[in-house]
Amino acid sequence: MTVLKGKLQHIIRDNREVPSLPFIGLGGLLLIVGMIGVLLVFSKGHEAVYGVSREVPWGLLIASYAYLVITSTGLAFIGGLGHAFGFASFAKMNRRIVVLAFITLLAGFTQIGMELGHPFRLMYLFLLSPQFKAPIVWMGIFYSIELLILGVELYLIFKPGPTSHRLSAFFGFLALLVGIIATSNLGFVFGSINARPFFHGIYFPIFLVVSGIVAGAALLLVIHNIVFKFRIEEKLTDSMQALGRLMGLGIGVMIFLYVWKFAVSLYVEPEGAVQAAYALLSGPLAAHFWIGEVGLALVLPLLLIILCRAGNSMVLGLAGLVYLLGLFFTRYDFIVAGQLPPMRQGFEGSGVHTVNGLAGYAPSPVEWMIFALGLGIFFVLYFLAERFLNLET
Amino acid sequence: MLQPRYAIVLDTRKCLNCKACTVACKFENDVPVEDEAYRIWVTEMPLQGRFPHLHQEFQPSQCQHCENAPCEKVCPTRATFTTESGVVLVDYDKCILCKACMVACPYDARFVSLKHKAVEKCTMCIHRLLEGREPACVETCPTKVRVFGDLNDPESEVNRLLGSRNSYHLKPHQNTRPRLSYLG
Repeated sequence: MTVLKGKLQHIIRDNREVPSLPFIGLGGLLLIVGMIGVLLVFSKGHEAVYGVSREVPWGLLIASYAYLVITSTGLAFIGGLGHAFGFASFAKMNRRIVVLAFITLLAGFTQIGMELGHPFRLMYLFLLSPQFKAPIVWMGIFYSIELLILGVELYLIFKPGPTSHRLSAFFGFLALLVGIIATSNLGFVFGSINARPFFHGIYFPIFLVVSGIVAGAALLLVIHNIVFKFRIEEKLTDSMQALGRLMGLGIGVMIFLYVWKFAVSLYVEPEGAVQAAYALLSGPLAAHFWIGEVGLALVLPLLLIILCRAGNSMVLGLAGLVYLLGLFFTRYDFIVAGQLPPMRQGFEGSGVHTVNGLAGYAPSPVEWMIFALGLGIFFVLYFLAERFLNLET
Repeated sequence: MLQPRYAIVLDTRKCLNCKACTVACKFENDVPVEDEAYRIWVTEMPLQGRFPHLHQEFQPSQCQHCENAPCEKVCPTRATFTTESGVVLVDYDKCILCKACMVACPYDARFVSLKHKAVEKCTMCIHRLLEGREPACVETCPTKVRVFGDLNDPESEVNRLLGSRNSYHLKPHQNTRPRLSYLG
């Protein structure tokens, strides 16, 4: 027992300096709400309590799944830059990066688990009857491998005694590589769908990777500001600045991608893509798009980063927070907008319901409750880790 | 003997919009009466021309039983599969309800079945085909809008129709190569 205690001493601590309790409490509340949602899903059935429909089969939970798992792979990317590519300013945050990436991925898995009608069937059918042509199979494979790699990284960062730098670099590189493949393949889940012109093509595999890396940087900025109560210690100042610059660069690339995505979707009005683009610009998703996607995820964080010249950690933390709020709309909008142009026109007898030529979707209360479950798991697990584990690298 | 290649040829000009096909489908396949639960449908196309010279067509449709079926390619568990005779089916026991097939289908021919707890679609009434009978929608149509047959049989009615009149596929740009053809 004493030996074990000694071995765990460098990992476990009771860190009262970090304001973790309010977040554990918030996470607990979200978890309770989420568990009620789970009970409702299992007692009434998915179809009875979710707002998705024949025309829009993928809704909020696909968006929240993408939001969380892509943020996780963005974190793994930054961790890989630190370990495998010698970016010392990122390597200094390694423990937080790995723990955050692992927990965010777990939280994301709850969303897809509750979205699928038969999650348990999936587990054995992926082994017994996989369809290797299907991008979803590769999504499952790559994200499972990513979770495994992050698990190994967790072991390496917390195991007693020194860890070989080459071993850490190897697993850091693997996490970065598999993370990029997993996220771009998640983009391919949408990009492969020829029937939905707004999804189809290489835009989303690229956009999801870039926006995910920015999300990883944003989350690290927010978390460090919380942990250090907005007074980030000097040794991490350069890390915060590097994250700020990474965010600024990433948002710049996102704007570049947006411009061409909309140019392609509007020019000569390609059927399906143009309706989705207008749904975002001036249709049912316009408020989400202009306030959330453009305002919160692009303009405001970029302005904050430029105004503080990526130098003030607190302002960068605010930029990160604003970006993460806006990114939720980004994820939601792209999933929903691509499905709003119906596959058949909503003429009498067609069975298709449209308003102004578009299908409709609004998340149900239970879908929000399941999203709360994912957030709750993130808050509880991460801030328990902050409280009881030594996350200083 | 060649494996049959089942197909349906539709002559929409014969359609009265009586919807007997939709009713027959529901009864034959025990499709529940729910808003989104339907395997086949008859769309009332917009009026053409100006009064008094008006024309309206009705377009009956269903799963197109594509040779290059996007629903089959995106299905992660092989729940969606194509029989040797070209009928696209769903193995309900393998469906995990990820709904990728619903998003990938360019014809919106699939829905979530509460009865099967899986994605459901037109089966071309395969249980009837095995008994040598035609699909219910084909058999019930009073004006014979739908003609069912084997593309590998040169003497079949579907081949005669396709050889005598122009025909088209729905959404040919999707390159799905449907087994349902519409006469022009």
